[in-house]
Amino acid sequence: MADVVFFALMVVAVGGAIIALEAREIVYGAVGLAGSFFGVAALFFLLDAPFVAVFQIIVYIGAVAILILFTVMLVRQERWLKDASFSVGQLAGILTAGATAVALILAFSAAKLWEVTPSSNPPDFLGIGQLISTEFAPALQVLALVLAASVLGAITLAKVDREEKVKA
Amino acid sequence: MPKEITTFEDFIKHVIKLVFWVLLLIPFIVLPIYYFAYTVLGVNLLDIFALATTKPEEFIKFQLQLISTEPTRSLFLWTTFPGFTFAAVFSAILMAYVERKFVAKIQLRVGPQYAGRFEGVLQNFADLFKLLFKEITVPHSADKLIFWAVPFALMAVAGALLGLIPLSPSTYIANPSVGAIFVFAILGFSPIIVLLAGWASNSKYPLLGGLRALHQLVSYEIPMILSILGVVVLSGTLNLIGIVNAQGGVWYIILQPIGAAVFFIAALAELERIPFDLPEADSELVAGWQTEYSGMLFGTFILANYIRFYALSALFTIFFLGGWLGPPVIPPEAWFILKTVVVMIVGMLPRAIMGRIRIDVLLRTGWVKLMFLTFLNIFIAMVLVSLGLVHGGAG
Repeated sequence: MADVVFFALMVVAVGGAIIALEAREIVYGAVGLAGSFFGVAALFFLLDAPFVAVFQIIVYIGAVAILILFTVMLVRQERWLKDASFSVGQLAGILTAGATAVALILAFSAAKLWEVTPSSNPPDFLGIGQLISTEFAPALQVLALVLAASVLGAITLAKVDREEKVKA
Repeated sequence: MPKEITTFEDFIKHVIKLVFWVLLLIPFIVLPIYYFAYTVLGVNLLDIFALATTKPEEFIKFQLQLISTEPTRSLFLWTTFPGFTFAAVFSAILMAYVERKFVAKIQLRVGPQYAGRFEGVLQNFADLFKLLFKEITVPHSADKLIFWAVPFALMAVAGALLGLIPLSPSTYIANPSVGAIFVFAILGFSPIIVLLAGWASNSKYPLLGGLRALHQLVSYEIPMILSILGVVVLSGTLNLIGIVNAQGGVWYIILQPIGAAVFFIAALAELERIPFDLPEADSELVAGWQTEYSGMLFGTFILANYIRFYALSALFTIFFLGGWLGPPVIPPEAWFILKTVVVMIVGMLPRAIMGRIRIDVLLRTGWVKLMFLTFLNIFIAMVLVSLGLVHGGAG
């Protein structure tokens, strides 16, 4: 049962990613990206990490996908890519991707990752919280500073833009 | 469209076609259901039919046994009692009728009056059948795939919310350890669906309504999540059953009145109810992002909205009103539903007495006032825990 669910979610995640790259209509691409995020979140849930799964949904579908979709809708182009011509570059890309995939599969099977047994108690979010507030507290504060700086930068950029508009 | 039958030859062809489809469908649909029931559930459907027609008492006993044992118990929970059918009938039929009468009485109208002879009790059934029989029109240049997918996606979101709400310590569908955050993750799907509905209709009013809905849903999601952080600090758990059990002494609406108020306001905004009904503002935007939807697709939106109304009222009950806790004169599920009904009726009150607010007031309220109040609320919760007045779970 778990295997079936796993492969179904793999299809959702990888299929969503393929749609995101290949869709003619760019809104479909954004929806495919959201689907891919959803598949990854469901995989996290399947792997006994509900906390990560939930935040994957909140951050990536609730914020990132909406941002992308909103931006795409603001830029109203009818069809971005008219014709799909099969070029040498595409062939080379597919070959490179395939070769990388084969190499990764070989490397992972040599490392015997299949034989890893899951720990009996999956880490709880309480443990994550304790680690973040004790051992990794400096990293958390640095991250908070980076986020604050980026938010301030965004506000500054928006503010400058608006003032120029008022002058003009 | 089926071709009109004019000649006898056409009639024979039609009959043969029907026989063909029946012969095709029986092995592909009926037999799998029969054998699934026979092998997996250990139930012979022919025996059940015989039982139902000859011995009704034993049939009822058999059904109760099916409800109380796996795997049919999960199916029953999802589809019937705490799950979909109960929520749909309770919220979209019963509470919608209560809302219509309640709002009408406040505004000195009579409300539904004729359907069902007594005070129009069957009015919502009448409306349901009206919507079912109406034609579904799809705009010519709409994006057909997304246009059709949106109502189903909204129903899926509403149904998934129901799966997380415990009606009592024993009556629940799913009980994840991070239930309180999970609810907001599921609610986070709705802005993207609403935006897609506005875009796929390929019409001006839906697009404007969709963009308004996006602004509103995104900006009220954040105060909503932050308003329950106080509850999480006080109870020390993200599990919904744990949060209710932590309110054995005093309900959190007494310790967290600001949080409760913010959650209530944000819930009204998430549901696009008056005074936050800007996305569908009928005097300006026809019906906002729902404009191009007709027939049962529009009915699906109403149904999904009422189910979410029920779900968010139930969450308010869980977070602030002590869930199913109460004197054991009636079962815990009944306490839960009673409190939820009270919350829903309070949620209907603004619809009767308030107008619609402007978009700039809406955004300013969400981003400035409610955000400030939530931080104040978290501060109060932290003070309560650190002074030892309340036993916080983490400390």
